This record gives sequence, C-alpha cells and structure tokens, in this order.
Amino acid sequence: MSEAVLRIENLSKEYMLGKRKVHALSNLDLQINAGEFVSIMGPSGSGKTTLLNVLGCIDKPTSGQVLLDEVDVANLPEGELYKIRRDKIGFVFQTFNLLPYLNARENVELPMENTKKSKIERRQRASELLNMVGLSGREEHRPQRLSSGEQQRVAIARALANDPAIILADEPTGNLDGENKREIVELLANLNLNRGTTIVIVTHDAHVASHTERLLLLRDGKIAKEKPGRHLIRKKRICPYCNSPVQAKDATCPSCNKKLDG
Amino acid sequence: MGIITRAVRNISRRKIRALLVIIALGFSMAIMISIPAGVIANQESTLGLTQNLGTTITLTEASINETLTQIDCTLTPSFEGFGFTNPPNFSDGSAPQGQGGMIPPDLINFTLGQFGGGGRPGQFGGGPFGSGGTVAMNETLYSDISEIEGVAAVAAVLEASEGENQTITAPDGRTFTRLNTEYVIEGIQLTSYLIDNYPVLPVNITTGRNLQAGDAGVVLLSEENMVYFGADVGDEIEILGKAFEVIGVHGSSGVEDRTTLYMNLSDAQALTDNTGYITTLHVFAENSEAVTDVASSISALHPELSVSTAQERLEELQALQSSYTTALENAEASVSQMQTTAFGEIVVAVAATSLIVLFVMLYTVRERTKEIGTLKAIGFSNWTVMRQFMMEGVLLSLFAGVVGITIGSIAAPALSGLLLPTVTQLGGANVFGRPLNTTSTLTISITPELMLIALGASVLLGTLGSLYPAWRASRTRPAEAMRYE
Repeated sequence: MSEAVLRIENLSKEYMLGKRKVHALSNLDLQINAGEFVSIMGPSGSGKTTLLNVLGCIDKPTSGQVLLDEVDVANLPEGELYKIRRDKIGFVFQTFNLLPYLNARENVELPMENTKKSKIERRQRASELLNMVGLSGREEHRPQRLSSGEQQRVAIARALANDPAIILADEPTGNLDGENKREIVELLANLNLNRGTTIVIVTHDAHVASHTERLLLLRDGKIAKEKPGRHLIRKKRICPYCNSPVQAKDATCPSCNKKLDG
Repeated sequence: MGIITRAVRNISRRKIRALLVIIALGFSMAIMISIPAGVIANQESTLGLTQNLGTTITLTEASINETLTQIDCTLTPSFEGFGFTNPPNFSDGSAPQGQGGMIPPDLINFTLGQFGGGGRPGQFGGGPFGSGGTVAMNETLYSDISEIEGVAAVAAVLEASEGENQTITAPDGRTFTRLNTEYVIEGIQLTSYLIDNYPVLPVNITTGRNLQAGDAGVVLLSEENMVYFGADVGDEIEILGKAFEVIGVHGSSGVEDRTTLYMNLSDAQALTDNTGYITTLHVFAENSEAVTDVASSISALHPELSVSTAQERLEELQALQSSYTTALENAEASVSQMQTTAFGEIVVAVAATSLIVLFVMLYTVRERTKEIGTLKAIGFSNWTVMRQFMMEGVLLSLFAGVVGITIGSIAAPALSGLLLPTVTQLGGANVFGRPLNTTSTLTISITPELMLIALGASVLLGTLGSLYPAWRASRTRPAEAMRYE
C-alpha cells in the first residue's frame, strides 16, 4: 500500500470576481501517493491553477482539508505555512521565475536560506542539483545567459533544494519550444522514475501529460475524469501538416520537415 | 548569498535609477548636515559678538554709575585763555546765555571739548570772564570743596591745549585767532585712592601700562599723540622742552580723548607754568541722589565756578547703552530666527529624504511583485522578505549619506549660506575704546561628529522610509508568482 503524500477532502474554493462569485473548486477529493507522477488537465477556468495553488499552500481553500504528510495545511497561519512551502513543496513555474540578479547556483541556494544547512552545504547541494539537471559548469551563469530550457532546469533544481515531499509544476513547458519541452518532460519523468520524486504538473499539453502515470481531468472545479497515463495517451502521433505518422520524440516531421509543436 | 549582497545587487540592477535616487537623497542629506554646520558656525561667531556686547553694556553701566556721581567744576573760561585776542563783544556785561549762534559752531564744540564734554551754553552765564588771562583755579578751592557735605572725593585736573595759533575771520569781519590744538595735556592727581575708585584715568590701555600713583616724568599717550610725537612705548619724548618717558598708549573713547595725553598733575603744572593752578575739579558725590545738592552747594559757595553734573554725558551713555542692548537683542533674535529657519529646513530635508526612500521603495516593491511572490512561494517568510527590502532601503540611504557627506564637505558654506538667513552683523562702533568685534569669519565645516550623525541619520531615515514598502512587500501573496507577464 502506497503512502499518501497529499490528501484532499471535500475541498471548495470560492472567490469573488467583481460582483460574481466564482466556484473555482467544489467538493473535490483527491489523494496523491508518494512516488506518483500526476498531471492535471482541463480547459481554462476549470480550476487547475487554483487547485495547484491550494496544494502548494499559496492559496487557502474556502472549506475542506488539505493534508500534506498528514498535516492539515488548509488552516495553518502564515507563520507556519512558509515552512511547509520551504521544506515540503517544490514549485516549478511556467515562467521559471528565477531571480535575474542571481546566478544559477545562487538561485538554487535561495530556498535553503534560513534552513539549518551551512553556507558550504548549501553551495555543495546547489552544485549537485545543477549537475543532476545537466547544468554542471554553468553554475555562475545568470539567467539571461541561459536558454529557456536551461532556465527551467535551474528552476527544477531550485524546487528540489530542500528535498520536498512533492514537486508542483504549473505549465512547466508552457514557455518552451519543442526540444526544450521534451527535455524538461524527460527530466521530470526521470526524477520520478529514478529518485521517486512525487510530481504533480498542471498542463494543457497532452504530450506532456502522456508521460505521467495518472491524468486528472478537471472540469468546473471537479475531477471529471481520471485516467491512467502513459499507455492510454501514448497513441500514434500524426503530423498536422501532412498527416503522416511521427514519433513522439520528433520535433520536426520527418516527411514534410515542418516544425511540430508538442 | 547574504541579504546584503542581494540588496546591493538589486540596487545595482538599475544603475541609472539608483544613481539618480542616490544623488537626490545625497543632496537632501547634504542639506541636512550643512544646515547644522552653518548654525553651529553662526552661533559661535555670534557668541563672540554677544559676549563682546555684553561686556560693553556692563562697562557702559559701570561708567554710567560712575558718571552719576561726578560733578565737574571749572572756572568760567576766559576767552583769552583759549586764544581769543579780542574777546567777542560781550563787554556790556550781559552773559551770552542762549546766544551760542554768535560764536562759530566749531568754536563752541572746541570750547566744550576742552571741558570734558560737560559744558552747555548756560555755563557761560553768571560768571566774570576775561579776568586776568588765567584759566586756572587756585588749588585751595580743592580743600573748600572737599569739605562740602556729600562729597566723596575731589580730583584736581589741569588741562592745557597746545598747538599753533590760527587766525580766523568770522562772517561779520572780525578776526580772532584760534588755537589749532595738536595735543592736550591733562594733569591728573595720581593718588591710589582716586585711581582705584574713580574714573580719573582712561580705561583702555592698548600698549604699555596706565599711569599709577607716584608716577612722575612719564606720560600716557593717545594713539594720535603717538603719531604726532613719532614715539613708541619706552621712548623718551620732549613736551614743551621737557623730557618724558612714554609708558603706555590709551585707546581713545571720544572726540575729546583722541589728542589727550595724561601725566602727573604736578608735572603738568610745572610744564605749563601753572604751578598751584588747576582747570577742573572732578567732584564725586557720595551717591547719585546727593549729586544735585552737592552741585548747588558748590555753586552757592563759589559762584564763580561753572558746575556741571554731566547730565548730558549720562544721557549719551544711556542712549549708547540702550543702542547696544538693542543690538544685543537683535543679534540674539537673529540667531534664534536662524535656528527656527534651520529647524524647519531640517524637518523638510528629513521628510524629503524619508519620502524619496518611501516612494522609490514602494515603486520597487510594486515592480517586483512577481519576484516577491516567487520568494514567498519557495519558502521565504514574511520577515525575511521584509528584512530584504528594509536592507535595500537602508543601503540606498546609506550610499546617499556618503554622497551627502561628500557634497556637504565641499558645499556646506554655500548651502548654508543659501538656506540660512544672514545673522545681523553688529555696527562697528566702539565704546570707551573697546572696538566691537564685527569681523566675524564664519568657518563652516563638517566635523567628524556631524559625519557620524549624518550616517546614523541616513540609516534611520532609510529604515523609516522603507518600513511601509517592506511591510507591503512582505504581505505580497505568493500566488503573485503565477502572474503571467
């Protein structure tokens, strides 16, 4: 029996958009076990981002429970929440959100600040993580000198800094082009596979979702459908320009040489 | 990767902006330190002036008190004695009372000057004149007057003007000769009782020493006498054919004093061939209330004497004292006005500095909402975020403090001159030979203490100004990190 890292019970989130009340999430139940690789999909406004924010303790639910490592984080005060965010959660953003005035290593060191780790330990750990995401030798580069794919790798290394219980990624490939997108998805998949990191990603991209074990389809603030990932999604890929079959890893169509997205 | 390094990097991220802000803040800080520097310098210089004025006022007061009890007695002058070959046409015996216009005004002044400023036209009335060509009073008068009730002391003086005769033609065609005075010999009774208790000698000795009891064969010159005789202290000079040693120089205190040299009474008498004679008796009443009675007693006893109670001198001194008191009050008011202005300006500069920090930091926080959201999403506490932004504000203002001290060190005199009202400069008059120190040179400098205070102030104002922006930053919702720009 696998251990539940995250358990959500009867979660609702409402907010006011002008004078209109929006039910972003309504009575949602969800359990994510250690070592799972989960993707959340759904149309715009279905509540994906709200769900991720609530899971990441950066937004509070209107009602319901969010148990992270069996701790109810839904009602923790800010004075406790930041520790949960720091120690239990690793965030990966669509826009990478690296600090432009810090180099790659310093960006990775950031979450370790105000932890028990010494300066040397932090530095060492940052270098290890950068090495792991394939950026050894680029520690001293500032974000503007890195490609978008490399920036997202730094962001993933940063998310891993404090060995979080769960990685939450919001459209991690949304700002990446084909090759970079594939590399990031592979990096996340390998992290899950080789290190057993629990990962939840929100995505629009079926190709990205196809790498996950579990796919949640959100509609109107509820889980509309839940499917096992990989084998189901892994269907034949067809070039949208010439309709010839293409491999999942192909960035350009081998027949018409046009650039493929996803 | 410390909080300070991050703050420095953040500030240097937008170099031009940081530079402009630091320069603006720096100027504000420069004003903040230049003003106190200016105030301190002004206060110090004014302190010197007011102390000097204070002394002058005290001195004037003392002089007034002394003068209050002083009565000058002179024999009604013989015009011949003062160089008139033909006395003006007073031979009908009527006193020229109220007829001062008959005598050229400068002659009146001249004559009055001879009598220590005590004369009024009325003094010419009542007494015989032209009586035998002597100006001297017999010394025996001295003991007579000393015995009058209410008299504390009597000082006998022989005053003689020396110079060349000059012929003057009056508008009505008459000619008379006038003595063109080059110096005035004043013989003083040098007894220690008089010297110690009464104003018989000049007070302001600029070089050498004053006359003292028992001095003989020595002379105290005025500055003009020095030039006239071409002598210096210690030199021997010849007056009317006799040798005298110059023992000191007195600063003059009035018109009549400028050409007066002082010596022992008996020396003066021998020198001017007036042995046994004097020209003036300074009578000192026991107190100011007794003055009128003593004066009338003297007049009754010796109607030939012209008695003057120095009322005019007193009024003059009182006017002088009141003008100096006013000057002192003006100086003090001027300093206090300057302090008020300075205080107001410092308040404005402090407010401006804090406001610049406040707005710059608010703008920065607004601009970096996403970054702050990210920091919070990856586990920064409110306090860490707040500290980060406080540090930025403090550093910004500290840099500005250094710039401000630099600007202030160079431009403090100009800045304080520009921003502070001019402290009233006091008139260059002198009283009793004491010139007032009016050449005050302001040395405005930024002292190390001021620099330290300025640095402290910049840290404080940086903290104050960034408090609210930093608090705003710390309240940023972590969800702002998701903002897609």
